[in-house]
Amino acid sequence: MSPNKLARGGRNVLLVGAVALAAAQLWRPVHANPRGNGEIVAPAKTSEILRRACYDCHSNDTRWPWYASVAPLSWLVQRDVDEGRRRLNFSSWQDYATDPETAAHKLDEIAKTVAGGDMAPWHYRLLHPGARLSDEDRVTLARWAAEEARRSAATPTS
Amino acid sequence: MTQSKILLFGWLTTAMLGHSALADNTVELRAAGGTFDPLQLVVPAGTPFKIKVTNGEKIPVEFESFELHRERVVQPGESITVNMPALAAGSYKFFDDFNDKTPQGEIVAK
Repeated sequence: MSPNKLARGGRNVLLVGAVALAAAQLWRPVHANPRGNGEIVAPAKTSEILRRACYDCHSNDTRWPWYASVAPLSWLVQRDVDEGRRRLNFSSWQDYATDPETAAHKLDEIAKTVAGGDMAPWHYRLLHPGARLSDEDRVTLARWAAEEARRSAATPTS
Repeated sequence: MTQSKILLFGWLTTAMLGHSALADNTVELRAAGGTFDPLQLVVPAGTPFKIKVTNGEKIPVEFESFELHRERVVQPGESITVNMPALAAGSYKFFDDFNDKTPQGEIVAK
């Protein structure tokens, strides 16, 4: 293939990519922070860690980053937040607490996940260094969650 | 007059039968054979209730509903009781988060 044909082919690929990227901006997800139902109550230090490292995906107080407005990243961010809120939402803790065993189960999972180093996800930590948990943060969160899980499991149900 | 009595008797019988599935405001759900039985639970809207979930499988199941904020593990051969809030009329999905081949069920509040 001649150098001219190669250059033309490369230009075409770039052009198609640019058009596709521009067209993708037409599909914009609505980034909403709806009202919750009874935010979780935690000691100040624990609450600070939760807000810094967990709340963007696991609450309705998401801080939407600038790239959340640019497709296709906007779609990925929206998917992560939707999934995070579905699995665990600190803004709607009262909904879990009406079944104390569910709340205990959620807290138990938090303790295990944090202690095991599985949260926050690595790809999120890359762009959000503040979400990295120090060893001290992990111990604080895991102890608090385990203690609250025991307390919730011991709550009498009506 | 007789017709009124028959109608009243019929209404009372229907009402009693309708509530028999909700004795103590508890509905029963069983996980067995790779499915939930029943797959649809009908409950009255606006009234708190409970679901007794029994695991007839040989493996643990996780009764979960994102919409209802419920997540409970049931060990093989065991039963648990899940507290449910008063629901607005509508349909709410539930599933087994440990076994994704188990079909989704729904709670219908009427």
